[in-house]
Amino acid sequence: MSSQLAIEAEVAALIVEALHLETSADQIDPEAPLFGEGLGLDSIDALEIALAISRRYGFQLRSDDERNGQIFASLRNLSAHIEKHRQH
Amino acid sequence: MTWTTQRERGNAAALKLMGWIITRLGWRAAWLLLYPITAYFFVSSPRQRAASRRFLRRALGREPGLADQFRHYFTFSATLLDRVFLLDGRREGYDIRIVGLDLLKERIARGQGCILLGAHLGSFDAMRAVADTGCPVEVVALMHAQHAAISMNFFTQQAAGTRTSTIPLGRPDAMLRAKECLERGGLVGILADRTPHQDKVARAPFLGHPAAFPEGPHILAAVLGAPVMLAYGVWTGPRRYEVHFEPFAERILLDRTRRREDLAAAIGHYAVRLEGIARAFPYNWFNFYDFWQEMEAG
Repeated sequence: MSSQLAIEAEVAALIVEALHLETSADQIDPEAPLFGEGLGLDSIDALEIALAISRRYGFQLRSDDERNGQIFASLRNLSAHIEKHRQH
Repeated sequence: MTWTTQRERGNAAALKLMGWIITRLGWRAAWLLLYPITAYFFVSSPRQRAASRRFLRRALGREPGLADQFRHYFTFSATLLDRVFLLDGRREGYDIRIVGLDLLKERIARGQGCILLGAHLGSFDAMRAVADTGCPVEVVALMHAQHAAISMNFFTQQAAGTRTSTIPLGRPDAMLRAKECLERGGLVGILADRTPHQDKVARAPFLGHPAAFPEGPHILAAVLGAPVMLAYGVWTGPRRYEVHFEPFAERILLDRTRRREDLAAAIGHYAVRLEGIARAFPYNWFNFYDFWQEMEAG
């Protein structure tokens, strides 16, 4: 497992908290898939994550973004997307 | 026992055949042909018939006769026939009564949208009649990709231009679409009776026997935080339907510390309500498979 960057550790903690996961945040591999086989999240989890992101970082993930598959693919991608779009 | 593969394949074939007859011959002729078509499916699907008999026994509280079973199949066929017309918005000649419309409108007026919990019972398409009643809101239905694909195959052309769309499940952003629809004050339909994944289910008594229900719809409703109603449209006779909207919850709350209990309570509540509907309209129950998952076990 590759090590988490600072923003990734922050987002991992946010995910664990939003979804009440039993996994500890530092155990989430930033490059592993979040959905399906990796962390095993589903689309309801994705919605909870999106809501938590909008509360914390002040921007909305939208369903009409063609890159969603990419954005939600891993902790690394999601964190990079947040870095780019965060309002606070 | 996979209902996804087994039964939907039958549906697709039946729909195709029905569609061909209707476009050539019109509703009346198709209606007459419905008897032999139904008879064909009746004799050629022993597994589904066993499931139907088991359901009817429990819903009717007596041993169902052949007539009851045929009626069960026939009701299903009739809704498939009407589907072609209703999907196309061709509601002339149809008598569609709506019960609870004022309750739905009241919720829509609040502007937070409304979640409609449904089941595989009656006709989803009859619900489109709501569009005629002066509350033209956006409606989306969450569906498993396979269902959506079948509707698409055959009905894409007919369905074009309606304000109802389906959101195929399976993509991470599927639920974002549901959320955005609610934010625009729309209606989001979710089927809450079938369990495509064997995990994430909770058992609740249904017609006297424990059945598995999916947790997903209730978790989703809780996350979306909108008011929740039960919605179903039942077939009551040739080209006659009754669409019902019934309050279910102002919103579903899952307390963090009592999440399991709250979820079990919501599902239990849904199972009780669904049982009431199934008893009131037993022939509209369209889960022609081993709903209680008992048959394999003997």
